[in-house]
Amino acid sequence: MQAVKDMTYTQAVTELEQILAHMQSDKCDIDKLSAYTRRATELLTECRRRLTATDSELRQILSQLGQIDQ
Amino acid sequence: MTNEASKNYCSLKQLQERLRDIVAAAFPPRPETWVVAELSDVRESGGHCYMELVQKDESTGLTVAKARATIWANALPRLRADFMAGTGQAFTSGLKVKVRVTPGYHPVYGMNLNITAVDPSFTMGERERKRREILERLKREGVIDLNKSLEFPRPTQRIAVISSAGAAGYGDFMNQLFRNPRRLRFEVTLFQAAVQGAQTAKSIIGQLDMIAGRCEEFDCVCIIRGGGATTDLDGFDDYLLAANVAQFPLPVIVGIGHERDTTVLDYIACQRVKTPTAAAEFLIGMAQQELELLLAIGGGLLQSVTDTIGGARQQLAYISGVLPTAPLAAIERADRRLDNLLGSLGRISAMRIQPLMSRIDRMADALGSITTNTTRHAATRLDGFAALIEALSPQATLRRGFSITRVDGKAITDASAVAPGTILHTRLASGAITSRFEQAEPTSN
Repeated sequence: MQAVKDMTYTQAVTELEQILAHMQSDKCDIDKLSAYTRRATELLTECRRRLTATDSELRQILSQLGQIDQ
Repeated sequence: MTNEASKNYCSLKQLQERLRDIVAAAFPPRPETWVVAELSDVRESGGHCYMELVQKDESTGLTVAKARATIWANALPRLRADFMAGTGQAFTSGLKVKVRVTPGYHPVYGMNLNITAVDPSFTMGERERKRREILERLKREGVIDLNKSLEFPRPTQRIAVISSAGAAGYGDFMNQLFRNPRRLRFEVTLFQAAVQGAQTAKSIIGQLDMIAGRCEEFDCVCIIRGGGATTDLDGFDDYLLAANVAQFPLPVIVGIGHERDTTVLDYIACQRVKTPTAAAEFLIGMAQQELELLLAIGGGLLQSVTDTIGGARQQLAYISGVLPTAPLAAIERADRRLDNLLGSLGRISAMRIQPLMSRIDRMADALGSITTNTTRHAATRLDGFAALIEALSPQATLRRGFSITRVDGKAITDASAVAPGTILHTRLASGAITSRFEQAEPTSN
């Protein structure tokens, strides 16, 4: 399994969609449920992290914007 | 007088006044004179507007006609307003215009065209014609849809912005982009370019080339500028710029000017938006879609986990509910099954035994008649034997005249074995004789 950090966003989302499709199918094995969920959470967190900025990042950017406004 | 009459020249003033009169007579107020020309060297002084009207050869670009023209201060405000209302832009150099003129010849200043009205629809039409020409050329060259057919990468976050740093539009864009409520992450790199005036196309192309060299670092390009009162968008209606944008390897978003402004770039860019703010909104929208997709996947996963666990739980609940009664039910079922088996066994046996029984019956009958016959036969044979035995019996022999002589109960067959004086007992067919042996006689034969 590829490390989430090394994946592109698209790869991560594609794998997420595959996991979801698998879990929604009848083939979903309850013994593997927690493994799937763990992997999916990892992927989701990383994708989300890449899409959104943290508080400190945001503050920094907004302070730079202030300079443009002046 | 004679001197006056015979002289063969006139004063310059006389000449100029004559020219003035000729021009005035040739161009009376009615009918109006409208002329089409390109504006050049437009400038304002003392409330009046001065310019050159020029006509260039379509193919060579060389000036083939040129005249001075003026809008006097009394007409200037209304005329300017008309033009702005109709074209959305200022009355400036480089535009093609259709104007109503009164040609006038001034003894001191010479030929001048006094502009008294302007037809903005002609300028609009001209601009449209120029755009159509550019678009048709791009179409012929097969590049018109290239940028439009590109897809925005997922996610689109690293944005190369072409604008002028001081422009209000750039500030609007940045504010909108980074004050988005979902805190979507973006990285913006500014590539400064002139976004109005004659240098616009050349300057933007230069920056596009720079970005193309660092293609890997960006997800898309945004060409933006704010509208402002004196919109001058003609710089964007440029064939080379359009060709560059059309063939640019990254998707290009164009947000130039205000709601009503369009340029040729709007028809070839991957995405056109009205304003820089709208460009930011578009980027936020795409990122938000990604975020919502993630949320949907998360929701789906949660639902699946809940469903699967719920299903398993239900299954367990069912099993534990059924478990106490299951053995009894199983025994009952087995019992019923045995009963059924027994019943069918009886039926099957009867069915099987019936033919056997009747067969045995038939065999018994046959056996009976066989025995009777055999017995009868045996009896007959026995009767035969009895007759034979009768015929062979000593009694029958005796009846034929033979007799048996015994000594001491033993039949004698040799006379020499008997001593004289021995008592003989002779048995006849009927009765017996006791006698005394005298003498033996040899056998005669």
